[in-house]
Amino acid sequence: MDLEKNMIVLDKHVATKNEAIELAGNLLVEAGCVEPEYIKSMITRNDDVSTYMGNFIAIPHGTDDGKKYIKKTGISIVQIPMGVDFSDDESSSAEVVTVVFGIAGLNGEHLNILSQIALFCSDVRNVAKLADAQSEEEIINLLKEVGK
Amino acid sequence: MEARKNTSLKAKIQKLGTNLSSMVMPNIAAIIAWGLITAMFMASGWFPNAKIALLITPMLNYLLPLLIAYVGGRLVYDERGAVVGAIAVMGVIVGAKIPMFLGAMIMGPLGGWCIKKFDELFQDKVKSGFEMIYNNFSSGIIGMLLAIFGTYIVNPLVVAGSNFMSKGVDWIISIHMLPLANIFIEPAKVLFLNNAIGNGILVPLGIQQAASSGKSVLFLLESNPGPGLGILLAFMFFGKGSAKGSAPGAAIIQFFGGIHEIYFPYILMKPALIFAAIAGGVSGTFTFQLLGGGLKAAASPGSIIAIALMTAKGAYLGTFGGVLVAAIVSFIVASFILKADKSMDDVDLDAKQAEMQRMKDESKGMPTAAAAQQSVESYKDVKKVIFACDAGMGSSAMGASLLRDKVKKAGIADISVTNTAINRLQDEQGLLVITQAELAERAAQKTPNAMHVAVDNFLSSPKYDEVIANLKALTQISSEEATTPVQKTTATVTTANDVDFAKVTEVNFISHDQHKGTATMATELLKERLDKAGKKVTVKNVTINDLADNDAHLVVATQQAAKNLRLRYTNVQIVVVDDLLTSQQYDEIVSKLK
Repeated sequence: MDLEKNMIVLDKHVATKNEAIELAGNLLVEAGCVEPEYIKSMITRNDDVSTYMGNFIAIPHGTDDGKKYIKKTGISIVQIPMGVDFSDDESSSAEVVTVVFGIAGLNGEHLNILSQIALFCSDVRNVAKLADAQSEEEIINLLKEVGK
Repeated sequence: MEARKNTSLKAKIQKLGTNLSSMVMPNIAAIIAWGLITAMFMASGWFPNAKIALLITPMLNYLLPLLIAYVGGRLVYDERGAVVGAIAVMGVIVGAKIPMFLGAMIMGPLGGWCIKKFDELFQDKVKSGFEMIYNNFSSGIIGMLLAIFGTYIVNPLVVAGSNFMSKGVDWIISIHMLPLANIFIEPAKVLFLNNAIGNGILVPLGIQQAASSGKSVLFLLESNPGPGLGILLAFMFFGKGSAKGSAPGAAIIQFFGGIHEIYFPYILMKPALIFAAIAGGVSGTFTFQLLGGGLKAAASPGSIIAIALMTAKGAYLGTFGGVLVAAIVSFIVASFILKADKSMDDVDLDAKQAEMQRMKDESKGMPTAAAAQQSVESYKDVKKVIFACDAGMGSSAMGASLLRDKVKKAGIADISVTNTAINRLQDEQGLLVITQAELAERAAQKTPNAMHVAVDNFLSSPKYDEVIANLKALTQISSEEATTPVQKTTATVTTANDVDFAKVTEVNFISHDQHKGTATMATELLKERLDKAGKKVTVKNVTINDLADNDAHLVVATQQAAKNLRLRYTNVQIVVVDDLLTSQQYDEIVSKLK
């Protein structure tokens, strides 16, 4: 699968992590990847075990139960340049996220791209490029480079 | 060195026992179902019912071995291994007159192992789109071959082994050294050959004896519930964990229900306990002979109730005496073995607890003192690395691909890196499990034998380089080229020299249109560094228009941005860095700030 332009939104301002997850989830719903119920499952999953990955990125996705709401594999990207805190309310240290990858994965079709994202984002400077990106194409191109 | 070898042999035997037992343990329910049906509905049972009794033989000969082989295959290679293991065991089951538990314990793991090796060779060569065909046909064909192999090779071997046990019992009876028969009977029982020996040899001979003298001690040799009871009681008092907790229930089912199969896994867990069973069996049989115990007919199942009902007139003292002596002797020996073993297990337990503590420390970002020296030892056995997360969909996949990449780049062969959902984790030796700190405890529970590493940052955890360095050191690849050269820049950072750090109360990053994300991230990273160093300076992310122009403010900027800043502001202090996120200069800046 490939990343698509309509699955990426730039320069969003959100106050809470759930808002960020909903944005990422809505993109998945609009693209016909998941039922709206999936968003709830994404929030549940993130409450259970944080999807914060470090290096300012989070990859919200559904629970095992939520898999039934997935219609097809898709990955959405929400850029939040000013950041949003993904830490638990009680936890003291902030876990600021600037790029959110919403994930709906069926049969492991998403693993290839997810692995590219991981390799790319393991360097925090690359995450900064994603967080600074001025267009959807820029993000797609940045992530494409990794495969090569 | 010598001592190490001993423990590793001991560990190997224990591991074998654990493996055997973990094939049987998940199937205890099936054994109980079969046992209850047998006890209640067989011809000599409590409520004889010919129709229900039809279940007994197929369940014993097919269901139980198939389940054991399935679980055995799954232990080696998940679902695929399980299916091949189950196919393979059919070859051993069919045509054998004895229940093929032993065969199942061989064929199940063998099946799993074969398909695993096959996959290792071919799976990455499969073209996309052909995965299903490859998966099903490879399992199917390997299963078929193993089933045929089982029919011709394994089946005769197991039958021969069983015959050998039977011959041994037969021979001992013929030389009138009856108590010694238990030396064969007890191990045979634990391998689920109890019915073969009981019904195959002892019962026919016993019927002959009983016909002439009204009772026979032979009926008691295998059905004596004493040895098993003693072992289960020992677990109740001196065992630990789940074995201790489940022992009382098992004892009731075994002693009153007569389902001896239930205590076999406990012995498989600690194979040394077979000596307790033998000691109990031998002394029990000796007591039967001494006090004249004996049954009118076969007690089946071997419950104390069935035995009481079958006891010949006047033989009560001998019969109950023998059961009691057997239970006491096996209890004493088993307690001794469990206690002697405990010293070692306590070390294990301590190690596990230390490990847990270490993980907790790590998840809090504390340095671990013992970690460094221990790691090299413990990494020695790592064969495969598994990332575990909640659903196996995202985070673990990312972590696994990162580490796989690093493993490849470091030139380490023979170590696979995969990911899975935490619930599907399989406990095995040589496994390194990496999880998020929050899941560390669950992972440790699921895989007590594995090594565990907890990370709180899947993407840039320093743990990865640690893992790679350790793995690499141990795979003996030319240690010449350092894994990740630690870059300690010695060059003094001149740019920070003309800053008067004493005046600085706030550090600013400029949130410029094209670098908003970077500024946010740089702010957070510096905050974190300052926090760790215990400095109280404020860090803020501001737009260029909001910057306060006085020397209490220190702006961190790139060369380019610094130029623009100097045009607009005169009083603010500026430090130029080569990279806003990862610059080495931050160490110096942090150390100089108040």
